Amino acid sequence: MRWRWTLLAAAALLAPLILQGSFYHRVLALVVLAAISASAWNILGGYAGQISFGHAMFFGAGAYMPAFVYAHWHAAPALGLPLGVAVSLAIAVAIGVPTLRLQGHYFSMTTIAVAELIRILVSNWPPLGAAVGLQGPATARTVWDLTFRGSVTYYYIFLVALAALLGVTAWMERSRMGYYLRAIRAGERAARSLGVPARRYKLYALMLSAAFTAVAGSLYVVMIGFIDPDSGLAVLISVEMVMVTALGGAGTLFGPLLGAAILIPLEQTANVLFGGSGTGFTFIFYGGIIILLSLFEPGGLLAIWRDRVVPALRRRPTPPVRHAA
Amino acid sequence: MLLEARAVSKAFDGFLAVRGVNLEVAAGEIVGIIGPNGAGKSTLFNCLAGEAVPTAGRVRFDGADVTAAPPEAHARLGMARTFQIPATFTDVTILDNVMVGAFLRHPGVAEAREAASRVLDFAGLAGVAHLRAATLGTPGRKRLEIARALATEPRLLLLDEALAGLTPSEIRQAIELVREIHRRGVTLVIVEHVMEVILALAQRIIVLNHGEVIASGAPDAVVNQPEVVEAYLGRSLTRRRP
Repeated sequence: MRWRWTLLAAAALLAPLILQGSFYHRVLALVVLAAISASAWNILGGYAGQISFGHAMFFGAGAYMPAFVYAHWHAAPALGLPLGVAVSLAIAVAIGVPTLRLQGHYFSMTTIAVAELIRILVSNWPPLGAAVGLQGPATARTVWDLTFRGSVTYYYIFLVALAALLGVTAWMERSRMGYYLRAIRAGERAARSLGVPARRYKLYALMLSAAFTAVAGSLYVVMIGFIDPDSGLAVLISVEMVMVTALGGAGTLFGPLLGAAILIPLEQTANVLFGGSGTGFTFIFYGGIIILLSLFEPGGLLAIWRDRVVPALRRRPTPPVRHAA
Repeated sequence: MLLEARAVSKAFDGFLAVRGVNLEVAAGEIVGIIGPNGAGKSTLFNCLAGEAVPTAGRVRFDGADVTAAPPEAHARLGMARTFQIPATFTDVTILDNVMVGAFLRHPGVAEAREAASRVLDFAGLAGVAHLRAATLGTPGRKRLEIARALATEPRLLLLDEALAGLTPSEIRQAIELVREIHRRGVTLVIVEHVMEVILALAQRIIVLNHGEVIASGAPDAVVNQPEVVEAYLGRSLTRRRP
């Protein structure tokens, strides 16, 4: 297992040298960014099985704060990152305590409603730029403005953040929290009967997930330099996190990375080919993926690999399972 | 008394599924709860386990009032339960299933794994510990259900039809397992449909019908009481009016 991750890290570090050119560099940076937000979503949606369709609110919290501190106080956008994480955590606790009492679809629907509410509020609130949005610094004053030419520097910054997130997730996976979250996903009633304080652990998962989603938002805005309700809080942003994770394999460390590596280049290419009208195609495309995944393999591509490709490659039937008495 | 239910009632939209049930279980006992379908056994069971809050009455466990306490608090206090339809965590291994229970008393991963392995050994599942739980059939899942509850190291174990759906030889093995659990000092409350199981295990039984206790006492005496026979079989032929 370890050598695979080493190989992956080496490939990630060398990728910009092999794929030259500003378009490729930008796509690479966006792939890593999507991997961060999807991995963050995965903590709650994959491991704990609480499907949120409203993570754009955490992404938005992270994305707005760097632009906000710059627009109002001319402070370095980097300062906005911890602030965005703090706001995101506050929102997570405020909505998590009541909504995590809900189960299954009810939780999902509530997250959509709250996220849309926040988008509409922000769209009408002048200090956050209302419908027009907020601008980051055009050129760097100091390095803390995190404003660089080209995408390569962002790419490497994003990689560091992704590595940190994967490290935290890998640790969580193996700790008591990982076992508890998987138990909650498999059956909350049974988990609670075994002494798992389900609501508390779901809230922990939501907070961890919200914090890293906010980091993704902050990193997005320092790269793009501009944020408005459409790019920071739209439902498509939430859906993208779900899609990337589900396509790769929810509840696994590697799934969101695989999903991002496939979906984001496709999306960017579609944007180049179809221009602004590409957004509509993205929706149709996501809809198609949802239908295919739910029909054939809810476990995503990793499950297809594990359950179908690997056994086929070995060219022998899976060993018969001995049933316990 | 380890477990004490006083005048417990549970209503669903005005329908009284359990009506004023009193129940006392002393430490070290095996108490059986029987009754025909729809008698309110499962509802009473859920009230005892913290899964449902009684509409009226109180439940005390080891001196503490647990009437409105959530299920996880029951587990912490030392009351464990199984589910009638096994609630197996199918996408993880059998060991991982049991570890979830073991974490309650052993927060460290290594300690929990060790404790879970001991329980699996005891329950006769050690050989399959590393298989995914989805590969287990019904008998295995029933066994895992008991093992997982045992991993929380309970003083009282509530078994909800833990042996239903097993073949006669599987039932004999499961009865042995329950006896062994009892020998280790765990008090048991058993809800069961299979009369053979109740007669083999319970020292005392209570009979529910229409949500009320209609009889209680030693198994052999109770099952021959006319009210009990009537509840199970209907009015006996000899007493039917022409």
